[in-house]
Amino acid sequence: MSNAIEIRDLNKSFGPKLAVQHLDLDVPEGSLYGFIGPNGAGKSTTIRMIMSIIFPDSGQLKVLGKASAVESKDRIGYLPEERGIYRKMKVGAFLKYMARLKGVDAAEAERRTREWLVRVGLAETYRKKCEELSKGMQQKVQFIAAVIHEPDLLILDEVFSGLDPENRRLMRELIREQNEAGRTIIFSTHAMFEAEQLCDRLFMIRGGVKVLDMELEEIWRTYDPKTVVVEPIETAALDLPWGNLPGVKEKLDNDGVIDLRLDDHADVGEIMRQATTMARLRRIELKRPSLEDVFIELVGGDAAKLRQELRDSAKPAVQEVTRG
Amino acid sequence: MGKVFIIAWKEFLATVATKGFILGMLIPPFIMGVAFTLMPLLMNKKAPTVYGHIAVIDRSGVVAPRIVQAFTPEAVEARRAEKLKAGKQAIEQGTKALGLKPETASGIQKQVDANSMAAAQNLIPDTNLTVQVLPPETSVEDAKREILKATGREQAAAGNAARLALIVIPETTVKTTQTNEEGQPDFTPFQLLTAPRLDIEVQSDVRRQTSKAIVDSRLATAGEDVAKIRGIMQVPTVEESAVTAQGDTKINEVAKIMIPAAFMFLLWISVFSSGQYLLTSTIEEKSNRVMEVLLSAVSPMQLMMGKIIGKGAVGLLILGLYSSVGVASLIFFAMADLLAWHNLILLFVYFAIAYVLIACLMASIGAAVNDINEAQSLMAPVMIVLVVPMILWMPILRNPNSAFAQVCSFVPMINPFIMVLRISGSEPIPMWQIPASIAVGLLTVVFMCYAAAKIFRIGVLMYGKPPNLPTLIKWIRMA
Repeated sequence: MSNAIEIRDLNKSFGPKLAVQHLDLDVPEGSLYGFIGPNGAGKSTTIRMIMSIIFPDSGQLKVLGKASAVESKDRIGYLPEERGIYRKMKVGAFLKYMARLKGVDAAEAERRTREWLVRVGLAETYRKKCEELSKGMQQKVQFIAAVIHEPDLLILDEVFSGLDPENRRLMRELIREQNEAGRTIIFSTHAMFEAEQLCDRLFMIRGGVKVLDMELEEIWRTYDPKTVVVEPIETAALDLPWGNLPGVKEKLDNDGVIDLRLDDHADVGEIMRQATTMARLRRIELKRPSLEDVFIELVGGDAAKLRQELRDSAKPAVQEVTRG
Repeated sequence: MGKVFIIAWKEFLATVATKGFILGMLIPPFIMGVAFTLMPLLMNKKAPTVYGHIAVIDRSGVVAPRIVQAFTPEAVEARRAEKLKAGKQAIEQGTKALGLKPETASGIQKQVDANSMAAAQNLIPDTNLTVQVLPPETSVEDAKREILKATGREQAAAGNAARLALIVIPETTVKTTQTNEEGQPDFTPFQLLTAPRLDIEVQSDVRRQTSKAIVDSRLATAGEDVAKIRGIMQVPTVEESAVTAQGDTKINEVAKIMIPAAFMFLLWISVFSSGQYLLTSTIEEKSNRVMEVLLSAVSPMQLMMGKIIGKGAVGLLILGLYSSVGVASLIFFAMADLLAWHNLILLFVYFAIAYVLIACLMASIGAAVNDINEAQSLMAPVMIVLVVPMILWMPILRNPNSAFAQVCSFVPMINPFIMVLRISGSEPIPMWQIPASIAVGLLTVVFMCYAAAKIFRIGVLMYGKPPNLPTLIKWIRMA
């Protein structure tokens, strides 16, 4: 399988600020790639360079086999972070205009516009002005604008910001659908749990430097501390010999919950089966690390400060939405 | 190229298909058109027809039939035609005397024909007068009383038979034995009594015709051949031609100022309004953050070109609309000959140059700033281009071939405006200066497009502190 995007030793600086440093990246065709990292990490800069909106200072970049996205713009769908809309334009006219700009002929643009608006439940907005739509509705319209020309590569920058849970679900569904149709999708987010739920490969960036680029399964395998969490119903059961189960390395007891650290070759299924026979349990699960944990582990340093950084970076996006 | 035109069409519609534009742009020419059509009609509106009768108490017994004769419809019509002819002749002489170009003269001629027709109609209002000859012994006091019954309004009503005037001709008006100190016959004057609001022209016509009838009667009584003597007394109206000649000069003077001014203002309005539309739409795209969405589909260069072409089409629409209203009104007034058609074509050529220059400035400014307020500080160069033609308008118009005017014709940015003034003026300018000024304009266009493309490309995605002039120059220099 060939790569939709190939990046080699990419560098970009804005004045003294190094936005992206020595970046290598391969995005295989058909993959659903998540770009994660705090605000200002270099996600949008990288995406803009992929889109040839800004140009790298040095390094090679190949998009859909071409040296520049300019040559294959009609095959790329792009939903920028700074996504606006013509306030005075009618929704239908805006979508048709975007489709036409991406090489779809007029009749087809009309057909797809109507089809898509029905698909996302905005059929009645066809003749409404864009400014009359709510922020979430606008977001959906912008998403349609990015996919209306049925691109091979779809790049979505901060696609979930500003959406309510219901629309997040719809958006995830739409993204998966696009991916199942064989399209390569890159989406960036600073909300790591979104990436966990959706992508099959992850690219993590901080301060312009790549910190992780791996399949999600591989991440779980690599960074899995392999912990089984057991919460018995009776507190007396806390003192049972949990640590003697096969493959358990260490037993941690904290406030009525027991964490069983397993060694690398432990049979998780067997341990869990045996554990359920030892006592009546309220809960038993294989604890997974969150991406946030992985990120913190990878970056190292002050974990509390990093967590704060990640949370802070999540805030402005929300404010941006309310500001309108 | 396809995408450029899709953008251009969208930009064109976004401006044109709005209520604001339609009201702002289409209504003024409409009002102008209506005004131009209605005003002359109102001004040339004939005085209301005068109905009524003139009473004659003719004690001489010979004048009355001649007065009756003078007021038959045929005689009235003949008098009007006579007056018209005299007016026309005077104008012909006047235009010849001025040495105007034949085509200009004929334009004025047509215009004046139309005017003099109207003027003649004003001079001789339509009358529907009958002459009622009263018995010679009728008392003047009794006859006068009839006049009192005629009010001003009744004169205008068809079928009105009110007495408008009373002519009293004593016997001694035609034939007298008395002589004055110089030994000439001392005729008694005739009396003319009129209704208070009788049209002044009708009044003087009645007086003139009565005088003529009396003189003719005297001649006939003296046994002379009336027609022969009238023929001898015919005098060509030389003096009138001088008066009309002044009128001619006036028309020509007005045309000399108005047409170049109209050309320049047309250019000015169309260039700056379309430039303004371009500026606001670029700023809107930037501040709406729609720019990056667009740039995912097209290159900055395509976007800028599309926008410039689209708003240029708006400017062309304004220019076409206003100039066709102008041309239509010139044709309406039969003055189209005052306009040289090749100048109209040049107007569009200079529009293209001036517009692209302004558009490049506007697109650069729009791309560089975040909102319209920040644009103000960068508007200085545009303001200069905007103001200079306004300052130079009069001096260049007065002397289109002065050294100053010639130099200004080659100053980049302002030269389209200057040239439009000069070519449409009355004085012919050296032919080579037209292609030369266009060449200067095109060179400026090439440079401006280059600079604007640079600034646009960098500026459109630059948010935050707006750049100042040195920064912009740095952007232009960047590869």
